[in-house]
Amino acid sequence: MSGVNLSRREFLTTTGLAGGGLVIGVSLAGCGASRPPVTPEAGSFVPNAFLEVTPDNVVRFFCPRDEMGQGVTTGLATIIGEELDVAPWNMDIVFAGPHEEYANPIFDVQITGGSTSVRGHYLPLRELGAQCRELLLQAASRELGLPVGAIATDDGHVLADGIRRPYGDFATAAAALEIPEAPPPLKPASAFKYIGKDFPRVDGMAKATGTATYGIDIDIPDMHHAVVKRCPVVGGTLRDLDKAAALSAPGVTDVVEIASGVAVVAKEFWQARKAADALEVHWDLPELAGLSTADIQADYRTAMETEEGLVAEEAEDIEAAMGEAETVVEGEYWAPYLAHAPMEPMNAVVRIEGDEADVWSGTQGIGAAQGLVARYAGLDKDKVRAHNTWLGGAFGRRGTLTHVVEATQVAAATGKPIHLLWTREDDIRHGLFRPASLMRIKAGLDGEGNMLAWQAKRVGGNITPDTIANAMPGLLPTAIGDSVIGLAVGLADHAFGGWVVDGSSVEGLFEDYEAGHVDVRHVTRDHGLPLTFWRSVGHSYTAFAKESMIDELAAKSGQDPVAFRLRHTQNNPRLNRVIRIAGERMAAMQPAPGRHLGFAAHHSFSTDVAEVAEVSVEGNEIRVHRVLCVLDCGIAINPDIVKAQMEGSVMYGLTAALHGNLELVDGAIRESNFHDYPILRMNEAPSVEVVLIDSDGEPTGVGEPGLPPIAPAVANAVFAATGRRLRSLPLRLS
Amino acid sequence: MIEFTLNGERVRTDAAPDTPLLWIVRDTFKLKGSKYGCGMGQCGACTMHVDGEAVRSCITPLAAVHGESVTTIEGLGTPASPHPLQTAWHQQSVLQCGYCQPGQIMSAAALLAHNPNPSEQEVEQGMAGNICRCGCYPRIKKAILAVASDAAGSELAEEVTT
Repeated sequence: MSGVNLSRREFLTTTGLAGGGLVIGVSLAGCGASRPPVTPEAGSFVPNAFLEVTPDNVVRFFCPRDEMGQGVTTGLATIIGEELDVAPWNMDIVFAGPHEEYANPIFDVQITGGSTSVRGHYLPLRELGAQCRELLLQAASRELGLPVGAIATDDGHVLADGIRRPYGDFATAAAALEIPEAPPPLKPASAFKYIGKDFPRVDGMAKATGTATYGIDIDIPDMHHAVVKRCPVVGGTLRDLDKAAALSAPGVTDVVEIASGVAVVAKEFWQARKAADALEVHWDLPELAGLSTADIQADYRTAMETEEGLVAEEAEDIEAAMGEAETVVEGEYWAPYLAHAPMEPMNAVVRIEGDEADVWSGTQGIGAAQGLVARYAGLDKDKVRAHNTWLGGAFGRRGTLTHVVEATQVAAATGKPIHLLWTREDDIRHGLFRPASLMRIKAGLDGEGNMLAWQAKRVGGNITPDTIANAMPGLLPTAIGDSVIGLAVGLADHAFGGWVVDGSSVEGLFEDYEAGHVDVRHVTRDHGLPLTFWRSVGHSYTAFAKESMIDELAAKSGQDPVAFRLRHTQNNPRLNRVIRIAGERMAAMQPAPGRHLGFAAHHSFSTDVAEVAEVSVEGNEIRVHRVLCVLDCGIAINPDIVKAQMEGSVMYGLTAALHGNLELVDGAIRESNFHDYPILRMNEAPSVEVVLIDSDGEPTGVGEPGLPPIAPAVANAVFAATGRRLRSLPLRLS
Repeated sequence: MIEFTLNGERVRTDAAPDTPLLWIVRDTFKLKGSKYGCGMGQCGACTMHVDGEAVRSCITPLAAVHGESVTTIEGLGTPASPHPLQTAWHQQSVLQCGYCQPGQIMSAAALLAHNPNPSEQEVEQGMAGNICRCGCYPRIKKAILAVASDAAGSELAEEVTT
């Protein structure tokens, strides 16, 4: 059966999430808040939705993207500040509220993710910064009676005739000027003062002193705390409930049935938590309750054997090409369900007063938070004030806002301002999850060691239908009812199961190497666990399969693994160069006795990364001592933050490679907290050396691309150490 | 009624004595710098000092600190007057999302107070109880070692012990 392959961007456009579309047929333009995005101070100069210069010289930047640790506040302030000529650390940076002006330029909705922020905002924010500076210059020119050419700027100040005056002095005059249609010319890279330079993150001191406010820290008058008792099996429904005991517990004020379970509300969090733990609840279990991981694996394997799958990439003559191969290698790879486990568990504060509401939550989509509160509180969208906060980690998890829905439902039912907090156990057990995947790759080489054929198939669930189901209620106008959305979600589910390949399910499985004939298929198997983006999405598992197979092909044909990759990336110069440089460094690494090196490379989010892992194996224990990471991400706005993202991606990927596993037992996730869902700790963490390839190309993604190569690099090092190919994640020798 | 010293001030509360210290500090005394991460002493995001010792406040019952001296991240330093570790965290861009960092810094401060000149391995072992999901470990380690090797840092670490 033939399929259609959709990228994430195409998906958003097609489904109507990005404005106008196939499924719902409405444009999102105009559906955001109708309030102006910036309420300026008196006398302020507000040339656009992103900047405000006050008369007392505060230069305020309304940051359109969400700070989950990736450094986006520093990065975007650097970009706009470069052309505005204000140091990022001298700006007052605030999180922008919901408004179409703050849409992600790559997705056209107000979402932070997909390693798109710097990539998407690089030119638009520079233009806006340049425009603002130009108007300030014109205002200064009039006021000082000097030609614009005689006036210079430096870090928020106008320099003319030997005097230095703050921008704020000219704010009111600049506000009276007409904004020119065409932006002034942008600086050449050679004139950059902030872009490409290392300096400390703008959020460092607030976060180091505990003064940065996260969603969990919001505290408002009369705020009550809610904890939700959930069915151990996702999708279970309440059969019966004994409220009496909970209601008589200290501090407890309400026990509320909501869609996802039973919310216990108390004056203090701890009171709510204790009462929720003690609550007597019986559930009607869904079909999933009959399944354990072994059943899902068996089902995937049957699908792998018996179903042809949808075409993601087609080579009609793949069997013939494989037949001509001298060497044929086949491997089957498994990646389990994973939780994101950001350090700050999901939470939201919702206050409903009359026909207005406020919501506070650290999210990857504040616009959706506003829409969800409006929908579930029955209010107009523009009566909901949505406040973003710092995010205590996200990794894709904070793009889905069921906790906002829950807080809204509880606030509406109780009439109280509600702080709803997921426990860590909720976070590990109740999703959303990185989908499990079974992947099979078969590849053929000719007598000279050239790849002739690459045949790959992936079996597993798709994240797109769940994404649609979770995003639509927040993004669409409240006039579009839940039943219509339900129909749309059903359609999407059907489509991605039956005739459209979800691009994120197979991305990274085949694109990087020249292999003559490439054939990629996908079989959807969905057992009902809620799925979503997990740092690097499909690449988080496809790179493991692909790079393990590449390494195996090189070994089986007696070729050097770096040379083999170089030879098959001749038409892909950026990846080729990254591989070459990493290979040269690898050759110089000289591991200590008992340590072995493994190599992997992968292109994702428009960035090319190669990693080398230095590994030792003692008994069944795999230890990663050192990692080299070489990348080309175009121009690095703040090279030190790029390096930090690579370091962090390596650690996040190592947790998955060495520990990460959620096991389903009778439909319930067995793991519950960090004792049985371990996260890499400092005593296991390798040193990481990051080599940034010097580039003046447009910036590309940074938050995710460092992750995909690390698991296969470690697996390939384990092969070098032991001769064993580990094809299941997490990597286990026992 | 339980009384204790919180960042140098005498405080009292009639909250249930089995309530974890974390929630008393956050919800009763409104100091939000100490974080909830796991609720079972596994991640260290809630780390405070009780009489100079690093404790996991999410599993420390309120009753256990009666008459004791509790220091939180707010008591360690402020943006205007930061502890050397906080300065190092900022200058070296140690952190990312930052959520676990108050706990990391409180653990590091206690570590340096007991061992002003730790080896790399001692830092790794001493900090192994604190999880950072963003993976800032190489920078945390480097910053602690830098502060330790700094004379001013050592002096301040001594103050914390006394």
